[in-house]
Amino acid sequence: MVLKKITSCIRWPVIFMRVESFSIKQITIAIFLMIGIAAIVLSLFAGGYFRKAALDAQVKSLSRVIEVATEEKLKEVRKNTFNLGMEIGNNRELQEIIKQSQEGGADQLVSILDDPFVSGFVGFSELSLQKIRLFNIDLELIAESSKGISISGGSLSEYLQQLLLQRYGVDRLKAQDSLWLEKSKPLLSTVVPIGGLHIVGYVEVVIDPVLNLSDISQITQTPVSVFSTNGRALSLTQSDVSSYLPVSYTLLTSQGDAAFRIIGYENVSHLNSEMQVTQIVTTSGFLLLTLSVLLFALWLFKIFLLQPMKNLIGSMEQMAGGQLDLEVNEKGLKEFSILATSFNTMSDQVRIRSQALHETQERLLHLLDLDDSAILFFAESDELLYCNKGAIKLFGYDRAEMFEFELSEFFTEGSVKVLQDAGLTHNFQTPLECMTYSGEVLKTEALISALTASGESGFAIVLRGAQHTSKQVGKESGTDIPLQDVERSLRRILEIASNNPGVLLGDDSAVPVKSDDKSGKDKAVLRQQVVSVMNLSLEVWEHDLNRSKLALAEESKIWPVYIDKSTPTTRTLDKYLQLDSCPKNPRCQRVIDTAEYVLKQMDQQTAGQQKLIQALNQLRDSIAGVQ
Amino acid sequence: MIRDKRLIALVSIILFFVSTNSFSESQPVVPEHIEGAVIVSAEELIKLVYSNSKLLIVDSRKKSEFLKGHIEGAVNIVDTEISRNVLEKNLSSKSSAVLFYCNGPRCMRSSNSIYKALDWGYQNIFWFRGGWHEWSSKKLPVVLGGQ
Repeated sequence: MVLKKITSCIRWPVIFMRVESFSIKQITIAIFLMIGIAAIVLSLFAGGYFRKAALDAQVKSLSRVIEVATEEKLKEVRKNTFNLGMEIGNNRELQEIIKQSQEGGADQLVSILDDPFVSGFVGFSELSLQKIRLFNIDLELIAESSKGISISGGSLSEYLQQLLLQRYGVDRLKAQDSLWLEKSKPLLSTVVPIGGLHIVGYVEVVIDPVLNLSDISQITQTPVSVFSTNGRALSLTQSDVSSYLPVSYTLLTSQGDAAFRIIGYENVSHLNSEMQVTQIVTTSGFLLLTLSVLLFALWLFKIFLLQPMKNLIGSMEQMAGGQLDLEVNEKGLKEFSILATSFNTMSDQVRIRSQALHETQERLLHLLDLDDSAILFFAESDELLYCNKGAIKLFGYDRAEMFEFELSEFFTEGSVKVLQDAGLTHNFQTPLECMTYSGEVLKTEALISALTASGESGFAIVLRGAQHTSKQVGKESGTDIPLQDVERSLRRILEIASNNPGVLLGDDSAVPVKSDDKSGKDKAVLRQQVVSVMNLSLEVWEHDLNRSKLALAEESKIWPVYIDKSTPTTRTLDKYLQLDSCPKNPRCQRVIDTAEYVLKQMDQQTAGQQKLIQALNQLRDSIAGVQ
Repeated sequence: MIRDKRLIALVSIILFFVSTNSFSESQPVVPEHIEGAVIVSAEELIKLVYSNSKLLIVDSRKKSEFLKGHIEGAVNIVDTEISRNVLEKNLSSKSSAVLFYCNGPRCMRSSNSIYKALDWGYQNIFWFRGGWHEWSSKKLPVVLGGQ
């Protein structure tokens, strides 16, 4: 239930969503670290468990030692009580009094029984004599010593009574011991027959065994304290046992009741220090072992897994970057070998298909170049994607320049409006006015065809029969290449452009390619810098050199001058002065040349010049970065 | 010189083993039973005492051991001191019952005395082979000192 709750709390999708941010190396290290930590925790746990087990064993062992020592001590005590009992039992006078059951003999008996209390006996110092009582052969009390404690009941303890009454024949001659409770005070009794082999009664010697139990420490070699069953201290050790391990042993009466609680104190400081050392050694060992295994495993992983994978990833990235002639080393573990073989096969197929595409493209381009017509293909954003040789010839720009311009720069405002109004959703034919490099406006007949392929849409313009504006272009009655062919060819090119942006048209420098966000940002910055440099150049030119913009374009021969309605204009240069009109792929070298030309004309230093130099340097840095 | 020392050491070791072996072989062993003597237990001994008031109980141990405790009615005659005369003084005839005991199954004194008594022609011999060890462990009545 708890497990279910925990698993439901864990946000598995979040974990798996982030899994791609972890490398195999990181995961491997994490797993081994977890194993290491688990091993260390286990070793600590095991150390604690072993320590507990060792202490338990120590407790059991000492408890057993105390038990044996107690038995040994009680054996000595019984020997002394037996001898005392025998000594009394062999007393002729006592035997005679009992045999004859003399009247008035009770006082004599008490006197005889008091004698050991008064005169002492062999082993007197080793016994704590409490009472001596006499019983007849039927276990009825005849007399008891006046010395010693008072025992209630006037009979033997229940256990002894039952035991002795059950005996017959020779067994009745045997002495019997018993540890019993008199008002919660444990006493040890030894019952010995009187009269030797011709028994006439019994003498009971009662002692307090506490005196002897405290001597157990001499046998166990540990401090010992004796407590009553209710916890009262009967004999306390004099040693300081605060840091010792107490081990308890309960001494039972003959009937099985608890009589004494004997506590031995074991000095476990040595054991503790040994265990501590063992634990440190074990934990350190585990730690070292884990680290060694981790390093070894990482080394193995690096050789057999990480390095081959890195190589494979590198090759894939290079291939994605356009390097198709790659071969991955197929030597490695089985899975990597299969993966490398598959990769190499895939690489071969991509290479073959790419080559086929190139060939198709070249054939198509060649076909389009054969015609005298000017063929231009614009993207939906009015950006020029393709132009054939006829178009280059018609407009008079070089190929690279062509791709700087948009639709509005190739055609007059009126023609652009015609195209925009037409909606470019179908094929149609219309006259268009073209603006050439030399500033002339040519009137041409145009076939416009809307194209869509692989999600990319655009339109193709086929221009034929260019004439100066003074001369109207007549309607074309026929073409060398039918419009359908052009359409087909351009659609195919557009398709290639969509699927293979890096290889379009075989002329990488001239073709705008799709860029990622980063390069997009860089280009935006680049355009800003281009505009800034152009404005600063023009500012220096106009203010410091006191020249006109038209003069800059004419004298530098960097920028074309157009004749628009008999008025010379610098339309291209003007585009570079504003961010909105600046081409998406600006001709940076042209801008740099302009700035350098302006700076070259300067013969004195000005603030504007400094700013221009600074902006120019920034532009150069950016170009280097972008490249 | 070194070779001589090695030789001496080797001979010493061999002699040690031979001597210890021969010693263990020469240790006296108490017989399990003696032809002509009846082995009795402590309980049987007491019954014998009850049934035969003239039974002579001979304690074959040293006097010091005897004084520390002995069976009631026993006389102390050490095996080395026993003689025809001593027995004849304590027994009325060769057929009178006599019981020997010493310290226990590992004590040879009682068996030595029995062999002698048998040689002298005594016919009613009992052997308390368990001896004092069995008697005291059964906590049977003892007589302390010379009582």
